[in-house]
Amino acid sequence: MKILEKIKNNKLINNQTEIQKICLHKLQSNPLPNPKSELWRLSNKAKFSNFLNYSFNEKNTKFDIPYPESSQNTVRLIIGENCQIKLIKENYSILQLSEDELNKYIKEQIACFDQNENWSDLLNLSLSSTKNFLALKINGSKIPPIEIFSHASSDFLNAKTLVIFLEKNCDIELLQVNLGKENSSLSQSTFFLLEENSSINHGVVSYGENRSNLLNSLNVIQQQNSEYNLGSLHFKFNYARFEISIKQSAGNAKTNIKGMQITKKNEQISTYTKIDFNGPDGFLDQINKSLADDKSHAIFEGSIIVPKIAQKTDASQLSRNLLLSKHAQIDTKPQLEIIADDVKCKHGATISQLNEEELFYMRTRGITLPEASKLQLSSYFQEIISFIPVSKDRWDLLDKLLNEN
Amino acid sequence: MQSKMKESDPILEVENLFASTDNLPILKGVSLTVYPGEIHAIMGRNGCGKSTLSKIIAGHPSYNITSGDIKFSGENINSLEPEERSQSGIFLGFQYPIEIPGVSNLEFLRVSTNARRKFLNKEELDTFDFEELVKEKLELVKMDHAFLSRSVNQGFSGGEKKRNEILQMALLEPKIAILDETDSGLDIDALRIVASGIKKISNAQTGIILITHYQRLLDEIEPTYVHVMADGQIIKTGGSDLALELEKKGYEWTDNFVKET
Repeated sequence: MKILEKIKNNKLINNQTEIQKICLHKLQSNPLPNPKSELWRLSNKAKFSNFLNYSFNEKNTKFDIPYPESSQNTVRLIIGENCQIKLIKENYSILQLSEDELNKYIKEQIACFDQNENWSDLLNLSLSSTKNFLALKINGSKIPPIEIFSHASSDFLNAKTLVIFLEKNCDIELLQVNLGKENSSLSQSTFFLLEENSSINHGVVSYGENRSNLLNSLNVIQQQNSEYNLGSLHFKFNYARFEISIKQSAGNAKTNIKGMQITKKNEQISTYTKIDFNGPDGFLDQINKSLADDKSHAIFEGSIIVPKIAQKTDASQLSRNLLLSKHAQIDTKPQLEIIADDVKCKHGATISQLNEEELFYMRTRGITLPEASKLQLSSYFQEIISFIPVSKDRWDLLDKLLNEN
Repeated sequence: MQSKMKESDPILEVENLFASTDNLPILKGVSLTVYPGEIHAIMGRNGCGKSTLSKIIAGHPSYNITSGDIKFSGENINSLEPEERSQSGIFLGFQYPIEIPGVSNLEFLRVSTNARRKFLNKEELDTFDFEELVKEKLELVKMDHAFLSRSVNQGFSGGEKKRNEILQMALLEPKIAILDETDSGLDIDALRIVASGIKKISNAQTGIILITHYQRLLDEIEPTYVHVMADGQIIKTGGSDLALELEKKGYEWTDNFVKET
């Protein structure tokens, strides 16, 4: 693990920013997450080592965007290429956060970090240089859809960070695309602050190539009356972790999550979610789907925390899993931690195979077995894909999943 | 029991069929012959093998034929896949039609119809041409066009699901249709709509097998033959009077029948 050696000896990064110094210092004293902790015990150690074995690179190579730019008014940003943005229009503005605003916010976040829960963020913030840091504050109405791309370069580990402040009464659609190249590692951390009455439809689509790795962390703070909708899709990574932490800081906010991970060959992709209700009248509707084939391993661990202050919380978390091979493995653990006594919370998990009766039904209508299986998968994928904003008119994700996977 | 001389060849011949699932024998020597234009009703207690017979004719992979033959238009189809049987003209209407979320009913119907048309060497239909065809067939079962844009059977009531089955039958134009308890869960009006749809689709070239528990469907569609099944066998065959008698006397009446075939 070349990178950790260099971090320990403080030989990795010159001209460190204040944030990098803080995070590097934390990692130096405690460089790895505890492999026995709940969040890391199922993580494949060899694959995790592979993630850390690439040389760290601050430079960005050119890459192909997976679908053409829209003729519509869409804001397209590539982290590492065009992080300088200043858009002031009649109805809205998209501006960079000032260094002071950014440092203050990130430092507040770091102060609450836990070594195991936020290890991926600590690594990311240690590595992410100013030019790979996109930090925006968005204000106004009728804001055009925003697309943000992050990518890793072959044979390297790249780190990208995104920070978005969504100001009061603001409403946006944002698609984040994380692309892994062959033999690469991408560390992506994202921080959202949703102020009162703001709303975001957020899509995260992450896919790699042969032997690419991803540590993708998402931290969301929702103020009252905000609405956060997330549609996510992770596939084609040798090793990927998607860590979601959402805090309804004073309750009375809405969170909807529909996520899916697809594993094939000997890939391992995991999703960890922690939803923290820190006030009354919070709402959550979450569904996480996994599909595991060949000798792959898909993991979901979800935790919903409802303290005493979070009365009248209404939360639902469902994990639905499809096991396509007898050598594949799925681990799923939706969990509730409830202290409040006046809440409506439910959780559940199912693991199944392709439904034989459904397949038979389709076959009795003249549809061949491969076509029927494809239709059944497309039906399984559709619920998630239709929840991913921005891309749906121009990017046939369903076709990509059915034909490339 | 079908000893009359027929002018045409049979569509379906089930000859002394034995079948099992997980080594458990279900069918224990079923024989049944259906000629063009005939409507056969199969009645019997729950678990007697009626639905299993329909699934085996349609090619369900969970059942093994241990002996006997199924011939369709004179060809043995024991080893054909379900899709091959469907494409060649065998239709199974399900007792519990399956929901397929995320797949539009219109697209599902179009793919199915085109699979059958391809087999018949007819031109496959694009979405526009298919919409024209389906519009005409919707009338048969009094279904609203809005059903087409919904996912297959998802959120449909029991009656709507059954009407959707008959719509599929109308589009696929099968040579033989096996309708497994199509009347179950239907109110009187829905039953009439479904029965009228079946009558309009059937003709002198097609055969129909109705699996049912109740006389009320047979009041709407008069069967040529009525068969009573028990313990994996057809134990009695008669005309439409047999169903009426069964309705009056119940299945206990059939307990003492000696196997007649």
